[in-house]
Amino acid sequence: MIDPITIIDPITIILITLGGVLIGLGVHFIPVGGAPAAMAQATGVGTGTVQLAAGAGLTGLISAGFMYNNLAIDGIFTSVDYITVVASGAIGSMIMISVTMFVGQLIYVYGVGVPPVSAKVKKDPITGDVQDLYVSRGTEGHGVPTVSFVSGTIGGLLGGLGGSMIYVQLMEIVGDPSNMAVVALAGIFATGVFYVNAVLASYNIGGTIEGFHDPKFKRVPKAIISCLIASLICAIIAVPIMGGVV
Amino acid sequence: MSTAAGGPAGGGLNPNQVIILGAVGGLAGIYLTMLNQAMDTTIFSFLGGIGAIFAAVWGADAVRRVCSYGLGTGVPSIGMVALGMGVVATMFGLTLPKVIGIPIIAGPIISFIVAAIIGLLIGLMSNKILMMNIPIMEKSMVEIAGAGALVMIGLSTAIAGSFDIVAIMPAVVETGFIALVFIGGAMTILHPFNACLGPDEKQDRTLGVAVSKGALIMALVGFASLAVESMDAMSGALTTIVGLVIWVVYFKKFMKNTHRDSYLVTGTGLLPSEEELE
Repeated sequence: MIDPITIIDPITIILITLGGVLIGLGVHFIPVGGAPAAMAQATGVGTGTVQLAAGAGLTGLISAGFMYNNLAIDGIFTSVDYITVVASGAIGSMIMISVTMFVGQLIYVYGVGVPPVSAKVKKDPITGDVQDLYVSRGTEGHGVPTVSFVSGTIGGLLGGLGGSMIYVQLMEIVGDPSNMAVVALAGIFATGVFYVNAVLASYNIGGTIEGFHDPKFKRVPKAIISCLIASLICAIIAVPIMGGVV
Repeated sequence: MSTAAGGPAGGGLNPNQVIILGAVGGLAGIYLTMLNQAMDTTIFSFLGGIGAIFAAVWGADAVRRVCSYGLGTGVPSIGMVALGMGVVATMFGLTLPKVIGIPIIAGPIISFIVAAIIGLLIGLMSNKILMMNIPIMEKSMVEIAGAGALVMIGLSTAIAGSFDIVAIMPAVVETGFIALVFIGGAMTILHPFNACLGPDEKQDRTLGVAVSKGALIMALVGFASLAVESMDAMSGALTTIVGLVIWVVYFKKFMKNTHRDSYLVTGTGLLPSEEELE
């Protein structure tokens, strides 16, 4: 029997909560078009927030887990290692979301035959290209314009960072990367917390968002509060279990 | 009336009947696997899968009630959040008895209650902070999270033969089958309404899909339990066979209900060739 109080470490809980908030924030950057975008009638990639965020986030988790198990297997885990692991997670996520947006873009441009254009701004804030002239009548933009692509990559960065922070913190509670049970439990917990935050953020967005230039992006503070509360609860629950199973 | 974005969903069974069916059936299935320990066998593990099917029906009904208000993000999101909450609550509930030294029989109940509490908080935040303004959001989130936790415990128990964390850790978590339970369990809850939604959505058809989906996952976890050392091969095979039988029965029923609810089912023949069109 283990005293549960001794294994609840406030720093770990704070960092897991921060990871959850980063995921919630990251989701707002990803250009999600939902069902309308699948018919090239809205800007963004044609699938739901959760699917996009989870695809990128889970890839980030895998790349972070790979790096963690390489670096921590010798029993020493320094802060440089920590940064390497979360960077690996962030880059994994960024690659995944960029590939998704790029391949989607190829289909929109060469398959559907629409120019990538945003309907929310008159000029692309990054390139300065005129947008409104190219929006097909009756649609809310189509494809993934430059600003959305950049925004999506930032979203992947934040999501991957958050997801890998949760994973590393959970692993560090036990500090034994050779124990399969710990790896699996930390992985599935990180996935669970990831989904809760991604869904809360997507409820805040309400379906579709183009990126940080979208007016809906102003709703971010509400999602941050919700994700903070939800991740805090998940962290308080998860930390004692990770300490308790081994 | 139950369109994709309309008012409350109706149907043959009222919500309270489904809640009782899901919660009682789910917990009963999970607790009946204790016959394994009582009789020193693993043959009763399939009852965990049956419990999971009951819980999946409940979860799917809660999803159809809340999603008929229109979430704006698609139905799958709510199923994923259910199992996201479910996995955290399940592991907490099943581990807690070991950590604080109380009987393991309390595990599933603790998981269920913790899931309900997380669900309530997420429901409250969705309505009060994110302003989703869905009248039944809090209640539905409690139900979906509770059902999600029961589905997870049921399927894990079917693999490991017991809901004791000492058995679950090596059989379900260490082997990685927890990922199968996670995504498979989410599918049983989110898929039925996602597949059947629309103006002609009927409760019995949707819940029939939940049963057949749950049975299919049950058949898969039967295969998974073949890889677990503490389980004998007969128990895993029995779980798979029971799952497949239920699946065949309910899939046939689903086909029948689909034909019943559709306006017209007709064979269109092959596409006309170019000469015939001229």
